[in-house]
Amino acid sequence: MTATPTQEASRPITSQEAGSAVDIVRVRKDFGSAVGVADVSLTIRKGEFVTLLGPSGCGKSTLLGMIAGFVTPTAGKIVVDGADITDLEPYRRDIGMVFQSYALFPHMNVHDNIAFGLKMRKLPAAQIEAEVRRAISMMKLDGFENRRVRQLSGGQQQRVALARAIVIRPKVLLLDEPLSALDKNLRAQMQVELSELHRKTGLTTIFVTHDQGEALSLSDRIVVMNKGSVQQVAAPVELYRRPANGFVASFIGEINALPPGRCEVKDGTASLVLPGIGPLAFPATPAAGFAPGRQVRAFLRPEHVRPASAGEAGPNIVTGTVEAHIYQGSHTITRVVVEGIGLIETRVTGADIVASAPVGTPLALAFDLGEAVLLDAGE
Amino acid sequence: MLARRPFFITFLAPAVLTAVILAAAIFEVLQYSVREFIPGSLNVGGFTLANFAALNKPIYWWVLADTFFISLLTAIFSLLASYPVAYALVRAKKDWVRSALVSLSITPLFTGEIVRTFSWMLTLGTDGFINSMLRKLGVIDMPIQLMYTRFGVVVALVQFSMPVMIILLATAIAHVDRDCEKAAANLGASPSAVFWRITLPLTVPGILSGIVVVFAWTMSAFSTPQLIGGGKILMISNLAYLQGFSVLNLPFAATLSLVALVCALGSLALMKGVTSRIERRLAVN
Repeated sequence: MTATPTQEASRPITSQEAGSAVDIVRVRKDFGSAVGVADVSLTIRKGEFVTLLGPSGCGKSTLLGMIAGFVTPTAGKIVVDGADITDLEPYRRDIGMVFQSYALFPHMNVHDNIAFGLKMRKLPAAQIEAEVRRAISMMKLDGFENRRVRQLSGGQQQRVALARAIVIRPKVLLLDEPLSALDKNLRAQMQVELSELHRKTGLTTIFVTHDQGEALSLSDRIVVMNKGSVQQVAAPVELYRRPANGFVASFIGEINALPPGRCEVKDGTASLVLPGIGPLAFPATPAAGFAPGRQVRAFLRPEHVRPASAGEAGPNIVTGTVEAHIYQGSHTITRVVVEGIGLIETRVTGADIVASAPVGTPLALAFDLGEAVLLDAGE
Repeated sequence: MLARRPFFITFLAPAVLTAVILAAAIFEVLQYSVREFIPGSLNVGGFTLANFAALNKPIYWWVLADTFFISLLTAIFSLLASYPVAYALVRAKKDWVRSALVSLSITPLFTGEIVRTFSWMLTLGTDGFINSMLRKLGVIDMPIQLMYTRFGVVVALVQFSMPVMIILLATAIAHVDRDCEKAAANLGASPSAVFWRITLPLTVPGILSGIVVVFAWTMSAFSTPQLIGGGKILMISNLAYLQGFSVLNLPFAATLSLVALVCALGSLALMKGVTSRIERRLAVN
């Protein structure tokens, strides 16, 4: 379990690191022979809201545990506010954390739960009272001070957990899937409250979730992880529009993966040539990453595939058979099987398509390839 | 369920039989306690309350008080000795440490009370393990009196009650939410603060039930105080035995048994009241 000293880990802290809130430097965690987190490096700026996003088992919670001090890294170092805390005990770290289960103390009332961290810091009683009252009113818990935590609803428990974590004025606030235990409506409301809290406190926040919707709506930046490694670090819009690889493309939102093809320019028209299908034309400005001769896989969001209008023809229209309609209220996802390409989903506003293109009938689709994400075919 | 599946009633038969026999035995004790003692005879005379009047002697009050005192000491020391073991048993990281602790703490349950008491006699005796040890080490010149003392009785009773105490405590410790301990550490509580402010309060229900069970159990202890106390330390069961089988005053032995029963039930009820109040205040359950 001893950290292997690498050059990276022993180099002096630079001024650039001192300006950042959290520096994760080539951190690694092995569980026996399995890798939990593989050489992750990440810099989080002061006041930033960063989300660790990935499927279960991707190492995001392990990474969070290492920042909190509950998991000892196999190698690497963690720097918070310029101080190396890799070997610091959890209780000396001044890092606030909200647990997935909230982990409120059942034998204490709301007030004592929130005051716990301040009592541990041996602050004067008057100051504790003032700070607790401030946190209580900030989290809209007025009147609940003497309630048992078991008597609270899920949303209230969530707010107590948040109040308890922020009242100690932590250097970093860690949120471990705090919304997953709430029902859908409450979750949406808590998302709003979380981002409001972040705006008010300006706390550097690291949020762990497997829910891409939460990640996209809350974060300044998202760290997508898979199998212990960072796949991409980017702002939500960037991540959605320019995923760095196939995993990110398919993990964030819905996306259609076209079979591998080749970028070509013929008669002045940029196109993607799919074997067995032929060329699909790009608009005047081709998608980013277009280079003649490049072997690529194109990924296309369902909103960039539309049913072609009657009689419409062109070099980016393919025809398939409707397999299913998934009606979602404001829009309908229609799944179409296209020979040589496979399953393509198209997203259309309203429900008209359910009647106009019944299951089993042919449907022509127009690809808006200008919005496609082009990744190396080897991906 | 019983109404729809009448054959289940058959399964109740052993329990009902046991309960009936127990009730009959207690009734028999009850009726013996209000009979006249005829010296030199095992037969009893007519109705009398003299046995209960005879209770009002300092010696009997003293034995009763001593029984309470020994039971309380046993419960407290059993708790103190068992908590670390139970904690290690639940929290040990290595599997083999856990299984070793489980076997060490549970096996005494499978050796009889007499065997265990006899081992303690060998340990506590004038030439026993402790005394010869201390003498060889030069700590003492003369053997110290351990047998026939309250100390010796309590030590043996503590060891006797530890398996049950450990099981009850281990169950409680295993139920503590580890995230609560992590949250406390995260909020700045040192490992000892985590223990005193989180782990210990959350295991109070187990501590209370352990104390109640061991206390009630020790109240009725017989062979340990009989053999190690050797007549110098009398608990209420030993007194009843003495009256019944040495003096052959069966009515008075029955009265004493009844007193023991009432005291045990009374203190259980009292403790139940106290513990449920503590648990309500802590709101752990």
